[in-house]
Amino acid sequence: MTEHEQYEVNFFRPISSHAKDNKKLISTLALIWAIAVFGFHFLLIYVTTPTPEETLTEFESVWPQVATDSSATIEMKQTFAKSLLMVLGKNIALKDDHKKVLKESLSWTAFSMQSDSLKNIIQSDPNEETTNAAVLNFGLSDEGFDKIMIDLIPNSLVKVENNLLSENVKTELPNVMNLYLVHNQSFLTDFKFLGFPFHYWYTAQFLLILFVLLCLFYAVSIDKMNKKHDFVEET
Amino acid sequence: MNKILKLIYTLLLLLTVSNNIYAQSATQLEGEFKLGPAIILIVLLLTFILVGIFNRAKDTKTYWAAGRKISPIGAGMAIASNWMSAASFLGMAAIMYGSGYHGLSYVVGWTGGYVLLLILMAGQIRRYGKYTAADFIGDRYYSQGLRGVGAGLAIFISFSYCVGQFAGIGLMFKWILGIDFTWAVIIGASVVLIYTLISGMLGVTKNMQIQYVIIIVSFVIPLFILTYKFGYFYWLPQVGYGAVISDIVNGIAPGGGLSSVGHDFAILPSPEFAMPWDPATGQTAFQWLAICFSLMIGTAGLPHVIQRFYVVPRAKDARWSVVWGLFFICILYWSAPVYSAFGKILSSNPEVGKLSKDAIVVYTTQLGDLYPLIIGFLAAGAVSAAFSTVSGLLVAGASAFSHDLYFNVINPKATEKTQMLMARLGTILMAAGVAIVALLNLGLIAQLVAVAFSLAGCTIFPLFLLGIWWSGSNRTGAWAGLIAGSSVTAIALVYFIGGKFGASLPYQEFINYYLNAWYFAWLGAPLAIISNIVASKLSKNKTPLEIKKFLAQKVHNYE
Repeated sequence: MTEHEQYEVNFFRPISSHAKDNKKLISTLALIWAIAVFGFHFLLIYVTTPTPEETLTEFESVWPQVATDSSATIEMKQTFAKSLLMVLGKNIALKDDHKKVLKESLSWTAFSMQSDSLKNIIQSDPNEETTNAAVLNFGLSDEGFDKIMIDLIPNSLVKVENNLLSENVKTELPNVMNLYLVHNQSFLTDFKFLGFPFHYWYTAQFLLILFVLLCLFYAVSIDKMNKKHDFVEET
Repeated sequence: MNKILKLIYTLLLLLTVSNNIYAQSATQLEGEFKLGPAIILIVLLLTFILVGIFNRAKDTKTYWAAGRKISPIGAGMAIASNWMSAASFLGMAAIMYGSGYHGLSYVVGWTGGYVLLLILMAGQIRRYGKYTAADFIGDRYYSQGLRGVGAGLAIFISFSYCVGQFAGIGLMFKWILGIDFTWAVIIGASVVLIYTLISGMLGVTKNMQIQYVIIIVSFVIPLFILTYKFGYFYWLPQVGYGAVISDIVNGIAPGGGLSSVGHDFAILPSPEFAMPWDPATGQTAFQWLAICFSLMIGTAGLPHVIQRFYVVPRAKDARWSVVWGLFFICILYWSAPVYSAFGKILSSNPEVGKLSKDAIVVYTTQLGDLYPLIIGFLAAGAVSAAFSTVSGLLVAGASAFSHDLYFNVINPKATEKTQMLMARLGTILMAAGVAIVALLNLGLIAQLVAVAFSLAGCTIFPLFLLGIWWSGSNRTGAWAGLIAGSSVTAIALVYFIGGKFGASLPYQEFINYYLNAWYFAWLGAPLAIISNIVASKLSKNKTPLEIKKFLAQKVHNYE
């Protein structure tokens, strides 16, 4: 063995017994670390499936009739309006152009439900009268989620020019609703632990606890290992 | 006894009056001068400066390595304080507030990296016994050129890391002083610069321990109040907020008798906040994993973090300082999602309007109608977090400039006095440059900081990893790895900056997705490692025997 070979340092080919122990310890901890973080998330990718919110099902049940307007009943339009408000309530999650499509659809619904003699209310710039008319048309009560929807209306109405839902809205709206109402879910997201959805608890809390424990275990083990191999570190 | 009662009564009265004054303008979240928070901030800054003066650096050795006098717990606190920047204090909650589960990739990335740092590097770096990252690179790869490049990289990484911090300082100064963002950045930058110049590293290290306590206390107190006020398990808010997350997913109907600044504590069902890589957030599983991985390896390659191992007396202390440091860091990281969850609910009323995500931590407490002085303390804590990191970064950058570039490469005959002068000059130049870039508002704080991590992951991390664990890695390999990592970095940054200024570049969408500025290290780092290995194998230039001997005997205890 040449001097170069004698002092060759290679993690995968340890020469000394100390280095061999060290390799074993590091490999074990690194493996636990990798499986815990990336293994779990690959599992999450594998098991989650796109799952719609109930609101999407309701929207899809009335959308074909509402889109053509002719055959939609008042109840259908109310369901439609509520599904739009449910998405508008997502507030910060919404992109501006999507918000525009939703607002236009909602305002058009309010307009289409208004009696002909009072349509001018919705055609003016949104004000208290417009809001009250919309609340009445949408059949919103002052309780439960309806109350939140009522709060959303003043900021969700725009001026309506005519009684036609634009082609752009007709094309875009189903995509927008799908985007915000379908979520990646599985048993890992549905199961609750300490009040959390399990996957959230695992990532936000457990992984951090595990990291601290791995570090603690390493620090204790390496001190013992150095002692075992009579390795006096620099002072 | 009567006097004490009178004093308590007077204090309560004063605080009630200030609370009432504050409540009147509660919905106006910023735009006016806030006296209470300003006083708290000034008191804190004066304390930091005084501590800095009493512990000021007397020579270059003290300036760079704090005289190696720090205990593991103290060093752990310093690591935590150094680490818990504006990105941790403000940025993480901001990302989770805007992108839900996606933001947890930052939480996991910024903590999981410490495991790598500890098991692969901490003790070994300390045993190698150099002062700076560039020193290690220059010595291990026996190249003055690489030492110079290492120093340049350390400056560049510290610089880009600082940009996000200055943005955070600017936001908080803007909130407290009620002034324009530009002036807020200029004033904040000037204060942190003066403080770093006065104190140097020993002062910084001492201050970091004080800052850690302030940061963590100011960050955690509001959580107890928020969870108590809104009826959640408040003995341990970090656990109690689990129900908040589930409530966001299922929605909270109004009518529970709870309100915040005149609005119901209510929200429509919002599963997109908690579900993984939700389509509504525009983020994918690949991006989650890429960010997480990049931040982890970046953590193990940041010069100002690595440099903290040089301030402890022994390698054992370096290891234990990481354990303590990570524990102290995790206290904040377990807590940050609580702000985003409450922020999500409290800002859901449309009357609140669109809020600056990066200030959501402070806005949440305002919307939760918390006591104004507590909010002021929180804002001051945010400034402390940014200050503690910036001062460490400025020292790391200045060390690289003065010690690694000027003294070791340009002028080896420089006196101590000249070196100190160059260190201070480097600090001033860097602070001024960072302030200018921070004013460009290139992204969210956490994202801007993530650029520095990918940069470190692509360049410094592979050099340290292979330098420590494989003596076959030689100068040629180091250059090859650096070129590969730097090339990926250059592509990612050109596309990022080009995109910001409206440039049209080939394959823009593809590159922006796969080599995004926040996570390009997922590709750059493995590529740099492979290039280093291949070039080292092919090269005839072998690592000198004395370096191999040193590595084997001193660093790895080969008999």
